[in-house]
Amino acid sequence: MFWSAGLVILLVLTGIIGYLLLRGGSSLTLEFLTTAPKGLPLGTGGGVLPAIKGTLLLVLIAVLAAAVPGLITAIYLSEYGESSKFKVLVNITIQCMAGIPSIVTGLFGYAFFVVYLGFGISLLAGGLSLGIMIFPVIVLTARDALLAVNEQYRLAGAALGVSRWYMLHRVIIPQSAPAILSGILLAMGYAAGATAPIMVTAAVISAGMSGGLMEPVMALPYHLYILFSQHISMEKAYGTALLLVLLLLFLNITALLLKGRHRKGGY
Amino acid sequence: MADTMARFTSLMVSVCATILLLAIVVFIARESWPVWSSYGLKLIAGTDWSPLARPPQLGLGTMVLSTLWVALGAMFIAAPLGFSGAVFLAEFAPAWLAGVIRPVLNILTGIPSVVYGFVGATVLVKWFEVSFHMASGESLFCASLVLTVMVLPYIVTTSEVAIRSVPAEYRQAALALGVSRPYVALRVLLPLAKRGLLGALILGFGRAAGETMAVLMLAGNTLHLPASWFSKGEPLSALIALELGTSESGSTHYQALFAAGLILLIILFIINLTLTIIRKDSGRVVRKS
Repeated sequence: MFWSAGLVILLVLTGIIGYLLLRGGSSLTLEFLTTAPKGLPLGTGGGVLPAIKGTLLLVLIAVLAAAVPGLITAIYLSEYGESSKFKVLVNITIQCMAGIPSIVTGLFGYAFFVVYLGFGISLLAGGLSLGIMIFPVIVLTARDALLAVNEQYRLAGAALGVSRWYMLHRVIIPQSAPAILSGILLAMGYAAGATAPIMVTAAVISAGMSGGLMEPVMALPYHLYILFSQHISMEKAYGTALLLVLLLLFLNITALLLKGRHRKGGY
Repeated sequence: MADTMARFTSLMVSVCATILLLAIVVFIARESWPVWSSYGLKLIAGTDWSPLARPPQLGLGTMVLSTLWVALGAMFIAAPLGFSGAVFLAEFAPAWLAGVIRPVLNILTGIPSVVYGFVGATVLVKWFEVSFHMASGESLFCASLVLTVMVLPYIVTTSEVAIRSVPAEYRQAALALGVSRPYVALRVLLPLAKRGLLGALILGFGRAAGETMAVLMLAGNTLHLPASWFSKGEPLSALIALELGTSESGSTHYQALFAAGLILLIILFIINLTLTIIRKDSGRVVRKS
């Protein structure tokens, strides 16, 4: 019974990827990656280039917006917070933020960025909404990475009388850099795959290649949703799904390897 | 000097982060305030949703029920599977197999929900349509099944930690008494780890209740009160995703969607706070000797 549960888990992953490879492999061609959608209704022919570009831009904006404040908050939580009440509050807040459903983040992004600040349905509004969504992920992974640095280093630093800041930027951050980077990659993957926040703040069925901050964009996950839900083209939908999964596999496996290397590096 | 600067900056940024969360809650509450004050509890208890009628009918009861039904259903399937998986990883799996399954679990959490929804819709829904001769295969049950797959990695990983944290003395004492290892797992380890397991379930429930794309693509999206697990429904998250784009900003419809968001947010906050409390106490239950 326990063995079967373990095998079910393996089967699910290989099943999903195998199924997508089988059905989508044939439509994932070079042309699919390098051309814009064509045909009528749009999407029945051509490729997904604008969607790839849109997703990359959205992720880039999200990471630019969230990484630095996320890291600084993590540093506060692991190094400077001591045992103050405020640190407990920040910790609980970040946990709660991590639990906010992505559609509610989208709802906030729509009300605040799109309507209140008047960005309209745009790349910037979507990227910032994704930034809010991945912020807690970055804080939590970076905090754990900083806390995982061997206590010996801190003790040695304290014994030598160097300041906490010096310890932090010369010893602790370099030590935990691979794990922090791994967390950021995970967050990027999370942002790349998220559909709910961008479908209300940024994504449209078809957009050009201009890539202006205030213009709507196409994005891979939303493109997949549209191809499927509007019954445009199942063949292209399989291709898009496969592409999305491969992109996320790449990000997640890189993140896992980075973290694994870090674990071996410490002692 | 640099140290004081760093301390001050980190404190300031953390203050901003905390304010950001408050801002999200306040903003969503403020946008939905007019409908709360004019409809009150009818918003949750009512089951008629026709926001464009005059006067608008704004009952979110159907969606709240769908959300709970889908998420609880997913937990119902995921709990036995997830706990067995965790016991397997913690107690029975040979090291090489556990070394394969753990990264696989990690990767499974990274697959986007829209892909789960898509695969679920093309495989499960088709299967229901073909084998039960249904006109359309979407149902709350379908959504629950796919959510099960999505939350399973979280449940397995969290429960495995809970089972591993049971001190080795219990295992040794039980094995010394000559009982079998499955018996030890079921009757000794699982009861001792029950608080951690409950935490895993709550975490999974939170994930399932907040999920949007998979339920949007699988639950069928009808506005009738779901009569059973196998009927169609439209959870809160799907409602927001579908209707936000078409609602005029500032209208009653728009405000009611924010009310839906607020309900979802409150459900999730309650779940997260419970989780924090459970985690804080979990050290005390099993006394390490």
